[in-house]
Amino acid sequence: MSDATHPQPVNQSELARFQQAFGAALAGQGATPVAGGSALARALAIHRNTSAKAAQDALAANYPVVRALFGDDAFSACAGAFVSAEPPREPRLNAYGAGFPAFLQDYAPAAELSYVPDVAALERLHVEALFAADATSLDGLALGAALDPEAVLRLHPATRFTAFPSPAVGIWLAHRDGDEAALGEVVWRPEAVLVTRPGLDVRVERINAPAVAFLSACASGQTLGVAATAAAEAGGDLPTMFAMLITAGAFA
Amino acid sequence: MTLTAGLGFKLEHFDDASMCRAQGLWFEVHAENYMVDGGPRLAALGALRDRHPISLHGVGLSIASDTAPDAEHLRRLAALVRRVEPIAVSDHLAWQKWDGVHHSDFLPFPRTRQALDRVVDNVGRVQDGLGRPMLVENPSLYVDLPGHEMSEIEFLSELAKRSGCGLLVDVNNVFVSASNIGINAAMCIDGFPADAVGEIHLAGHSPDPDIASNLLIDSHDAPVADEVWRLYRRLIARVGPRPTLIERDDHIPPFDTLMLERDRAHAILVDADRARAPVHV
Repeated sequence: MSDATHPQPVNQSELARFQQAFGAALAGQGATPVAGGSALARALAIHRNTSAKAAQDALAANYPVVRALFGDDAFSACAGAFVSAEPPREPRLNAYGAGFPAFLQDYAPAAELSYVPDVAALERLHVEALFAADATSLDGLALGAALDPEAVLRLHPATRFTAFPSPAVGIWLAHRDGDEAALGEVVWRPEAVLVTRPGLDVRVERINAPAVAFLSACASGQTLGVAATAAAEAGGDLPTMFAMLITAGAFA
Repeated sequence: MTLTAGLGFKLEHFDDASMCRAQGLWFEVHAENYMVDGGPRLAALGALRDRHPISLHGVGLSIASDTAPDAEHLRRLAALVRRVEPIAVSDHLAWQKWDGVHHSDFLPFPRTRQALDRVVDNVGRVQDGLGRPMLVENPSLYVDLPGHEMSEIEFLSELAKRSGCGLLVDVNNVFVSASNIGINAAMCIDGFPADAVGEIHLAGHSPDPDIASNLLIDSHDAPVADEVWRLYRRLIARVGPRPTLIERDDHIPPFDTLMLERDRAHAILVDADRARAPVHV
């Protein structure tokens, strides 16, 4: 009787069979692929370490503030657990770790640090902004006073924004600036972030609820008039908010 | 001679690297780090490319997998090649894909005739996708697998002959592999087919931290070892000057410190070139 869940490929080559077994041994599944004893075991350990180190280094590079919040040893342990759970699926490690914020939600050792997944989510937006496509930011002067309420503003490819239940933005900014006083002054409240890349430098700033309402409307393709109404209903001061978004380079 | 010795490019060295006017200097980058849509990293590569020749070194093609190279990855590499117009495109004689997982390391395999057919086919697909030949690098080996039907040199020589690719001789990997599997490094160096050698890598290694092990690890975190310099001189004396890269990926020292190692390779290449040049009176 054939095993429907684990069909054996009939024409699998020797190379494929070797790689299947070697990969399983690297993943800690099954027996060693070929006779080789302790020499093979050590080689497998070296390959396993090299591969895991590359992924962990990439994670550390993409989540510097989470690393600082945890401390190096705790971050290493956490990164090791994440790399085992969600190893890289492709060779571009600079984009590695998209699932890390969600992983942190369920990471028991950090369960009491409820803001850490939010800080991680912010750092992920930073990575996305860093590698997003280039585009010229919309120039406020060129836009002039003749803003057409029927116009649709397009977000710059690097623009990201989101609202957090925690003061993740204040915590992130204080860590980036190495500002211990600011860290001490962080008060527990929901905060929202805007990440942009006017020119080549990524900017991270705290924004208010009206700005989130405005950007959300723009992101979903609503007209400027609809977006402005949404922002006004959230209690926003439109000219100030619009000037801030233009300066940040939020639109293309 | 135009190109002599180059350095692995590090973003933190951008200012020094772009300003440096050393004769024969070039830079190499890991192609995968620049497979992004835009932003400062790609802009820095563009600016560097306007001042120095660039080589694209891949770490993700997995050409010894028993599957064809990933079409999407190859498309991204081809786009980067069009953008950068590199002096060389290279990757490793190794495999990395397993059950959807990508291992960021260069995994070994038994060098059989069947494996050779597969690698020849994969290299052909890469070269067709890029519209140019590639260079294939010898990786560091940590175990002498059973089942080899040919030596690494025989395998690489056949691969070059049949696919038309060139070879990237990593002298440190030759030293590390020879030490780890107990063969003579000088004999390996002497075996590379001179005509196929398109580039050379030099890097540092370190001892396996496991005290029960006497393996060497290709760690790229230290200066090039004296034994590796000796093998390098031996190779250059036989094959003539070839573009040579100093690789450092961890414990990265200041740019000027790396340039000292680079200048040492440059001097060896210039001497070799003089030794070969006809004397004009």
